[in-house]
Amino acid sequence: MAEMVRKSSVDEVLNHWILAGSCILLMITGFAFLFQMKSVGSVFGGFNIMKEVHNWGGVVFSLSLLYSMRHYLKDAFEYDADDAQWFKVAGGYLSHKVKVPPMGKYNPGQKLYYLGIVGAGIAIAVSGFAIWLMKDNASVMLISHLVHNVAFCVFVIAVPVHIYLSTLANPGTFQIMVTGMLPLSEAKKKYPKWMKAAGKM
Amino acid sequence: MANDNNRKAILVTPEDCIGCRACQVACKSWNQLPGISTKNNGTYQNPPDLASAAFNIIQYNEVPSQENPVRWLFVSRRCMHCEDAGCMTICPSGALYRTSEGAVAYDRDKCIGCKLCVNACPFDVPRYDAENKVTKCHQCTDRTTAGMQPACVKTCPTGALRYGDRNELITVAKKDGFGTIYGENDLSGLGSIYAFKEEPKLYGMKENPTIPSSVVFWHTYLKPLSFIGLGGVVAAAAIHYLAIGPHKEKEEEV
Repeated sequence: MAEMVRKSSVDEVLNHWILAGSCILLMITGFAFLFQMKSVGSVFGGFNIMKEVHNWGGVVFSLSLLYSMRHYLKDAFEYDADDAQWFKVAGGYLSHKVKVPPMGKYNPGQKLYYLGIVGAGIAIAVSGFAIWLMKDNASVMLISHLVHNVAFCVFVIAVPVHIYLSTLANPGTFQIMVTGMLPLSEAKKKYPKWMKAAGKM
Repeated sequence: MANDNNRKAILVTPEDCIGCRACQVACKSWNQLPGISTKNNGTYQNPPDLASAAFNIIQYNEVPSQENPVRWLFVSRRCMHCEDAGCMTICPSGALYRTSEGAVAYDRDKCIGCKLCVNACPFDVPRYDAENKVTKCHQCTDRTTAGMQPACVKTCPTGALRYGDRNELITVAKKDGFGTIYGENDLSGLGSIYAFKEEPKLYGMKENPTIPSSVVFWHTYLKPLSFIGLGGVVAAAAIHYLAIGPHKEKEEEV
């Protein structure tokens, strides 16, 4: 068997799926609240229980989001010249003919996506807790309701893009988030700068 | 629905109100609401505000005039049953709904206690009971659907409260010389309308009531954006997959 390298630690993989699972649950219940979808409410046994699921799902999501920062936050703030070039060729996603510059562990699209999720995630979590716990403050409620829904729009647009790019658009990527491992040969091709930094190239 | 022929309304004529509070008592009686112990805070108005056990109140506005230094202007207050109802718009669980008579009623079992309706109401009407469920005037929908008048209207001894076809009530009130019908057009038309000869402001009526702008913005733009946004990116991903296709490893090796 080919030599494998670890890209994602066990706790990172685990936390990713806690974050993803809670996020999708929150989006489904959020849509159900937004459009008063009775059928979705029935799946949870009514809107009252769905509210509890949404609220406590939000607690799980918030904690998971905070924990994810130890995995990605530092990388997400570091950009170099290759990253700028990456944007010029749109990451190679709009044409297979362009030359994509060598990448480190994460490409700038992923890094910006993470920052977007952190930003929108903090906004949606803080406003969510405000709607939950500060019901009697009218201005806090109305501002939080607005912020919660703006952040929701960011999520429903950004998350499907992330899902597409990490599955269908990039074959082989998905399994990294399952096992945390990928073949060394592939890592050298996809993440040369990371491999060089790790002394494997 | 503002001009819908079916729409019913309560017409309040504050000029005819004698402040007897029979409407408050009748409302409590029909809706089986408990009494509220209150304190005397220097006014005859009691209870001081709408409450989970007080769906309607008579507001005792003390407005002295030249001829009458102790003038009271009575206004019977309850849910306005807006056509464009902020509470219904924002309610995430469908607990607030429109009755066939055009009133805004609530389904207590569906309420999830989020209190968003309280903050979206232009008239500060919805109240929460001890079990954290919404309560408010429902225009006695359980009476009106059976062909009866709302309890408050039924009991009013002076005709200051009237219930009936909304258009008809407005026409009659105008014919009777009431220049201003408060709520005729506000929020696409209220279901509690007020006949005034003087300025509604004098009676403490809210001028130009509106749903909070953040709620309007959310309803008009954010709700469609979330739906169209999700559909848009899913469609874009599908088009990308078909037109450009996934990342191919072999080309990378070149």
